[in-house]
Amino acid sequence: MDRAIRRILLFFGLISAVLVGVAVVAVRNINRSAAGADWVNHTHAVILEINGAVSDGMEAEGDLRTYVMTGDPRDRGAARQDLARMDEHLATARALTRREPAQNAEVQALADLEGRREALDARVMAARAAGADAAERVLVAGEGDEASLAAIRQAAGKLTDEEMQLLAERDTVAYVQAETTRWTVWIGVAVDVALLLGVAWVIRDALAARRRAERVLQDANAQLEDRVRQRTAELQAANQRLTTENLERRWANQALEHQLRYNLLIVNSISDAVFVLTKVLNISRINPAVVHLTGWEAQDLVNRPLTSVVRLEAGAGSEPLVDPLNQALKEGRDLRDQAAVAEDRRGRKVNVSLTLYPLQDKDKVVGGIVILRPREAKASP
Amino acid sequence: MLSPMSRWSHTTGFRILGISGILAVLALGRLEGLTVADLLADAKLNPHRFANHFGDFDYEYADGVQPGDIFLSRRKGDCDDYAILADYVLTRHGFATRLIHVNLVGRTAHDICDVAQAKGYLDYNLRSYFRNVQGSGRTLREIADKVADSFDANWTSVSVYTYSYDEDVKHLTVTVVKTDPPSEDADRAPGR
Repeated sequence: MDRAIRRILLFFGLISAVLVGVAVVAVRNINRSAAGADWVNHTHAVILEINGAVSDGMEAEGDLRTYVMTGDPRDRGAARQDLARMDEHLATARALTRREPAQNAEVQALADLEGRREALDARVMAARAAGADAAERVLVAGEGDEASLAAIRQAAGKLTDEEMQLLAERDTVAYVQAETTRWTVWIGVAVDVALLLGVAWVIRDALAARRRAERVLQDANAQLEDRVRQRTAELQAANQRLTTENLERRWANQALEHQLRYNLLIVNSISDAVFVLTKVLNISRINPAVVHLTGWEAQDLVNRPLTSVVRLEAGAGSEPLVDPLNQALKEGRDLRDQAAVAEDRRGRKVNVSLTLYPLQDKDKVVGGIVILRPREAKASP
Repeated sequence: MLSPMSRWSHTTGFRILGISGILAVLALGRLEGLTVADLLADAKLNPHRFANHFGDFDYEYADGVQPGDIFLSRRKGDCDDYAILADYVLTRHGFATRLIHVNLVGRTAHDICDVAQAKGYLDYNLRSYFRNVQGSGRTLREIADKVADSFDANWTSVSVYTYSYDEDVKHLTVTVVKTDPPSEDADRAPGR
């Protein structure tokens, strides 16, 4: 896989991880914030229940006093309703604070005071049957008790103050939690933005690298094309040169051929028998006079030694130690008008005069020419 | 003096008026004359059928609880009037009910009547809906969550209470506080 792609995938992996991390932390913080908000609401609820209890207690007192004055059962009923609601508030407050022993103890103390007040109210109601004065006396006597309205208000006020303090503390916790959530989210966003910038940088870098590679490739292609063009031109020039050379060679060959044919005509036109020899005195070519003289065709004689057709006559009746033809050829000198005997196809011998001309190329003997002329004939046996 | 035609017309008109009047009286009598005794006498009464009687009742908040017949004749009341009447009637029809008081954040509170057999509760705010029995979990916490959701609010505590029209006093029996660990809720059996 491309390195840039791997880096981009790595960046996206990190971004996803940060997103998931932020989401998890944020949800956890939100849950904590919700829990914190629940505690704030809880504290408000305790305060409301206490205030509700005190308020209903006060209303009950008012209705009771009205009942003492009027004796109207509806006022008594209203007082009872107020006391019932007060009990309800206190029961709820007790339940709300049951995991907070200090507050619960104070709620319980307040409930005790309210309970004693309820008992007083019950006595007042009972005394009202005997008349308003009797009820009034019971009521006044009760004001001196510890469960006086002032004492209830004081206990409720203290409890409310403490709950307010708790409320402030819990609100601070909730605020800090909210701040933490905010910071978590913003830091996550910042990290993700940084990672996105990193990805952008990697992509930009990769694109730049690709553009560079593309340019290099284009340059290489251009160079290759130049080289191909140059090479093509060179090949074309070489081809042209070869064509010219071929033409010249053909002309040269034609000239050589012409010369060769001309030479051949010359050789063939000679009435004497002419043998063209190799350096070792093998026959490489003959003219028609040889055929006429010996009866042998050219294909019969070519590559055969000259001595198979012609022999120098030996002087003084003995064979010389050194072959004079070979010796003359080696030394590159002519051997003129030597008496020799040629033998034709039918074995008849003809006296001939033999002349050898060495063929030299740059001072080097490459072969020889032997010319046979008939001598006066001697009768053969 | 009226012509025969006029006499016929008047007679027919009176008949129509009379029949209409009787039907109107019957209809009104059926609707406005609904009493607690009628509800108790209805052998087919169930939570859904009970709630159907209150579809067009109005809402009116009051501190106290209205006696059942007054609530039915006035055709207006609040959540505890409805919940307490439902509890009173359905209990007598053999349903296992609970009166539940949910304290929402602020001074708001809401009363409902939970019916075990219906696996849901009767809520005065939902009386006019087709689904007038709201399905819910069986724990107080679940019920409080559902009730608070319907107000888009948080709850702080939820209590079960008893009430009798004679005494006219609510007695809280069990209270669950939201901030308490759910495992310690009073209405949860150990190991549940």
